[in-house]
Amino acid sequence: MFTLLQIAARNLARNRKRTLLLGGAISVVTVLLVLLTALFNGTQASMLRNATTLSTGHVNVAGFYKITSGTAAPVVTEYKKLREIVEKETPEIQSLVVRGRGFGKLVSDVSSQVAVVSGIDIQQEAGFKNILEIVKGDSSRLVEPHSILIFEQTADRLELKIGDNVTISSQTFRGAANSIDCKVVAIAKPLGMFSSFFAYVPLDTLRELYSLDPSTAGGIQLYLKDWEKADQVATKLRTSLAKAGYRVMDHTEKPYWQKFDIVKREDWTGQKIDVTTWMDEDPFMKWTLFGFRALIVIVFMVLLAIIIIGVMNTLWMAIRERTREVGALRAIGMQRHTVLAMFVTEGALLAIISSTVGVVLGVAAAYGLNAAHLKMIKGFQMVLMSETVTLIVSPPTVLVSLLVIASVTTLGSILPAWRAARLQPVEAMHSSN
Amino acid sequence: MATPSATQPIVHLSNVDKDYQLGAVTVTALRQVSLEIAPGEFTVIAGPSGSGKTTLLNLIGCVDVATRGEVVVAGRDTGKLSEGDLTRLRLNALGFIFQSFNLVGVLDAFQNVEFPLLLQKQLNAVQRKERVMDLLQRVGIAEYAHHRPGELSGGQRQRVAIARALVTRPRIVLADEPTANLDSVTGNQILDLMQELNREGTTFLFSTHDPKVVSRAGRVIRLVDGRIQAEESVEQFQSSHA
Ligand SMILES: Nc1ncnc2c1ncn2[C@@H]1O[C@H](COP(=O)(O)OP(=O)(O)O)[C@@H](O)[C@H]1O
Ligand SMILES: [Mg+2]
Repeated sequence: MFTLLQIAARNLARNRKRTLLLGGAISVVTVLLVLLTALFNGTQASMLRNATTLSTGHVNVAGFYKITSGTAAPVVTEYKKLREIVEKETPEIQSLVVRGRGFGKLVSDVSSQVAVVSGIDIQQEAGFKNILEIVKGDSSRLVEPHSILIFEQTADRLELKIGDNVTISSQTFRGAANSIDCKVVAIAKPLGMFSSFFAYVPLDTLRELYSLDPSTAGGIQLYLKDWEKADQVATKLRTSLAKAGYRVMDHTEKPYWQKFDIVKREDWTGQKIDVTTWMDEDPFMKWTLFGFRALIVIVFMVLLAIIIIGVMNTLWMAIRERTREVGALRAIGMQRHTVLAMFVTEGALLAIISSTVGVVLGVAAAYGLNAAHLKMIKGFQMVLMSETVTLIVSPPTVLVSLLVIASVTTLGSILPAWRAARLQPVEAMHSSN
Repeated sequence: MATPSATQPIVHLSNVDKDYQLGAVTVTALRQVSLEIAPGEFTVIAGPSGSGKTTLLNLIGCVDVATRGEVVVAGRDTGKLSEGDLTRLRLNALGFIFQSFNLVGVLDAFQNVEFPLLLQKQLNAVQRKERVMDLLQRVGIAEYAHHRPGELSGGQRQRVAIARALVTRPRIVLADEPTANLDSVTGNQILDLMQELNREGTTFLFSTHDPKVVSRAGRVIRLVDGRIQAEESVEQFQSSHA
């Protein structure tokens, strides 16, 4: 009934101070929710982008090769055949790269550090061109044998310049010490707090370090059209690879470098395939995002609880002030459910208007912050793997925020409204208000 | 004034008691009340404060139920009706005028009068407007149709309330001390209006403790300590208060 809406609107307008206070609080909470979810989306996007450039695909098809039961090499043999099967079975793939997996010590004239050394084919690696910012040198020179790409942190620590030589020393998977010299051809800007532990050499150079055959690789990294399908695709691939005759490892939520010890202890030899997702390979990112999301949920539970209490309180006051009016309306023939509707309308109207205002302000603020290219505080830069604050406003998330806040706030008005509806007309009419 | 004998009574009470429980104490507000109100009456319930006038009007107004006895309003035994049915009965058969007007503060005079029609959902907007404007005209405040209660005087507000009570064309209009919050001149004007409306066919039952108001009634029901002490004609009443 339009009149109920009118009554609600006018009562809200009449108690301007109260309405503005509570409506303002609802708006502020909405703004916060919009901004925090946008920050979450932005962080997730940049973390995922960094991680999938540095060390993982959305889905990885890799595994271990055991020459004897006590060893474990992060190697797949006959990777071309594997790759064909994977490509055929997975229409969700946008692109894929083949990488070699290694781990060694980078030694310069002045210092040394350990690093994850990946073998790449730079011509396949779109992410390197699009995402890595090369500050010195040229990443396309990674086609040259015995070339290496490092990050600025590493270059600083080892005092390396373009053209300098760095020695990578490691152990072959049979246990023999080995080392090769590589020439620094590119230095990249850091990509998050972990990029200093990564270095890249041509795949053949890595094979040389580990005395591996050209038919081997570390694994295949798959980039999907929709990264959210990673789990689904991984599960499907495990089944289809098993069907194709591969021995497939059970899913373990760990990065491959945490699996060596387990695999070494297992009693088998030969090849096993391990299908993992970005969440498995980058537990840091997984837990950061999980923590971030949990934080958002907790913060909003608290804020929503406060808002609900505010709405209930405000409506209690409104009802107490209008008890006589309610009594009179009940006397002249207004049914209980209409009384309920009258007050819920008031709560809902306040909720919808304030949360809509909040969404508009929040989205505007998000675009404003993006445009301002705010530098993140150092600590956050590290955790969130991004130098500037990037907010991604996703319409579905905003819509959900709006619905949650508006409906939860409206729910808060039901209890007081119900109490008002239960008022006996006689008592209500005789109330002293 | 219409003669009651010919038609079915609108209100029929027989042997009605009303008890209020105040903790361990039972207050009997009405004892053995029996009465009938016929169409067209202009009846006053008279009695001192605390004599049970409001209680009686509440029972007849279907906002409260009797402890014992039978209350029949517009042919329905109110003791047997559900809350929803009682509400519907109030909406369709009864009109209420309150001592302190009790209008909806945020609606203007027109909307206040229109409100019961909206609850009834029977008339369309055009019909409602016609009905409401006629009534506002009739009670003499058509020019204030778009004023809110806060912008009206007590007398004007009570006129709005009278129009609201009449808008559904109820069988009977109940008014608990309708002039108690008004000065005597304004109170008289309101009584004049009620009397005119009665002559035009509306049945009124109202209460007062003011002898001057009693003298305007067609029939007087005297309550003392919750009992009907006497049914007096107005003449008797006037002579006893001379
Ligand atoms: N809700 C109630 N609870 C307890 N006692 C009540 C209540 N309402 C009225 N009474 C008592 O019933 C008697 C009649 O009251 P009421 O009908 O209000 O009288 P009047 O309207 O004539 O002043 C009084 O003694 C009053 O104290
Ligand atoms: Mg009274």
